[in-house]
Amino acid sequence: MTEIKTSQPTVLARDPGVTAMQLQDVAVSFNGRVAVRDATFDVAKNRVTSLIGPSGSGKTTLLRALNRLHDLTPGAKVSGQILLEGTDIYRGNLTVTELRTRVGMVFQRPNPFPTMSIYDNVVSGLRFNGIKKKALLDEAAETSLRSAALWDSVESRLKVAASNLSGGEQQRLCIARALAMDPEILLMDEPTSALDPIATLKIEELMTTLKERVTIIIVTHNMQQAARISDDCAFLLMGEDRAGELIEFDTTEKIFNNPNDSRTLDYTLGRFG
Amino acid sequence: MNDLTTMDEPVGVNQTMRDEIRRVSNATRARRILISRSMTILCGLALAIAAVPLFLLIYQLIRRGAPELTGTFFTQVPQTPTLIAPNATGGLSNAIIGSIALNIYASILAIPVGVLVGIYLAESASKFASALRIIAQTMAGAPSILMGLFAFSFLLQDLKVGFSAIAGSFALAILMLPVIVISTEIAVLNVPNTLREAGLALGAKPHKVSMRIVLPSALTGIVTGCILAISRAIGETAPVLLVIGGGYLNTWQPLNPVSALPLSIYENAKSEWPSQRAQVWGAALVLVGFVFILSLTARIWASRKQKVSN
Repeated sequence: MTEIKTSQPTVLARDPGVTAMQLQDVAVSFNGRVAVRDATFDVAKNRVTSLIGPSGSGKTTLLRALNRLHDLTPGAKVSGQILLEGTDIYRGNLTVTELRTRVGMVFQRPNPFPTMSIYDNVVSGLRFNGIKKKALLDEAAETSLRSAALWDSVESRLKVAASNLSGGEQQRLCIARALAMDPEILLMDEPTSALDPIATLKIEELMTTLKERVTIIIVTHNMQQAARISDDCAFLLMGEDRAGELIEFDTTEKIFNNPNDSRTLDYTLGRFG
Repeated sequence: MNDLTTMDEPVGVNQTMRDEIRRVSNATRARRILISRSMTILCGLALAIAAVPLFLLIYQLIRRGAPELTGTFFTQVPQTPTLIAPNATGGLSNAIIGSIALNIYASILAIPVGVLVGIYLAESASKFASALRIIAQTMAGAPSILMGLFAFSFLLQDLKVGFSAIAGSFALAILMLPVIVISTEIAVLNVPNTLREAGLALGAKPHKVSMRIVLPSALTGIVTGCILAISRAIGETAPVLLVIGGGYLNTWQPLNPVSALPLSIYENAKSEWPSQRAQVWGAALVLVGFVFILSLTARIWASRKQKVSN
């Protein structure tokens, strides 16, 4: 924790309470077909919240609604309320670009920009948002790469193409790139599913450290991973009509040891899925 | 049949049954090997048949073209041979300069428009875009003399431009346009959507995602398409035949009549002087040289690793 430099104390200042994001009856549909619904839960600040469930339960769809990545999909509709510090992110007084600088995202497959160097990748978000001062960019690059536990291995080759990094390093670069925007919330969509066990372990360790400064919401297929790293857990399941729905939300400990719903228990015990 | 060789032998089947399976699968395998070998031989033969004319062409081109490539060929304008000096053909510097000038102006006209239209087609799902795409695809297959006719009637007759390099460039630009549009569209579509999403998720506005992420990632494909379009245009005779006017001037001026290598080949090939007819091979060799260099450049561009330019 000590090596994390929080150079931006404003992070804490803009937080009113312990809830980072509130979901109320959130449903996502594509061309009228419901993909996920009934999602109501509060994401606690500085904790890791995992979304688990079998394929087709709408975990990723729900996650992508949280920073409006469905906006560009024709026919996609998000209903219900998603509140970021009390502001409705779809209907409130918050532009989509501002939302996305406050709610970052790490994708399933590492996707560094292939035409950019490591350095340019990390500061790309800042540059997209008009920041040009070199001193500021340099500082942000170093801070974020340190936070992503990547600084030591790339310090001497910042100008090298990002595609030269290994898969695990690329994913940590993507985390650094998201962290450079100093987001309040970091969404992670199965961030380790394309990585080997050692790279996975490093990212998991990273998440545990990172939650000191950023709230993490992670989609994972791997129940052990959810149990290891998350504090709270949402279990989703595909209903009769093939729409995903939230079955249960609670602390990870409760979900894995003593859930209210028998289906949750069946899933965490590996009886299906 | 395929299954017979790979399938597990059934449990509890008697020995005769097993022998039968082995025998049939061995026979099948033998037949397959035979077919495979005959096919390999057939492919080799087809390759030889296809390659022979090509090698003959290149051999002929170099054997008859190389002796023509003297200093005079590159530096002098053409002369008409006389009975006293039947070999005084001069050079084709006017045609070489003309060809280069025509293609430079054509590229300036076609590349910016073509690339922008290509990006638009890739990023837009509108009806207008689909209509444009169909037009581009049709134009790509249209006979090239049509571009010449169009340039002639539009620029020369309607707008009274006169025989000029710019009229030829206009015709070549129309010829290049669909190639550039289609290859740009493909290059942009090939950029993985995850990169666009990564940009958007960082709070970038859509136009910034297009300019700073999609375009650089698609650049290799776009440049390759442009080079291929130029190499197609440089060898075309038909579009320029009607509008550039020819003539013996060494000129880079867009509004002057110019000559071009394909046009020189066409005209010299009709000459009654054997020396002028021989010169055709020199012009052809230079033209093929241009095309070769351009496609080589395109290949190197296409295969080069994405390097970071600082």
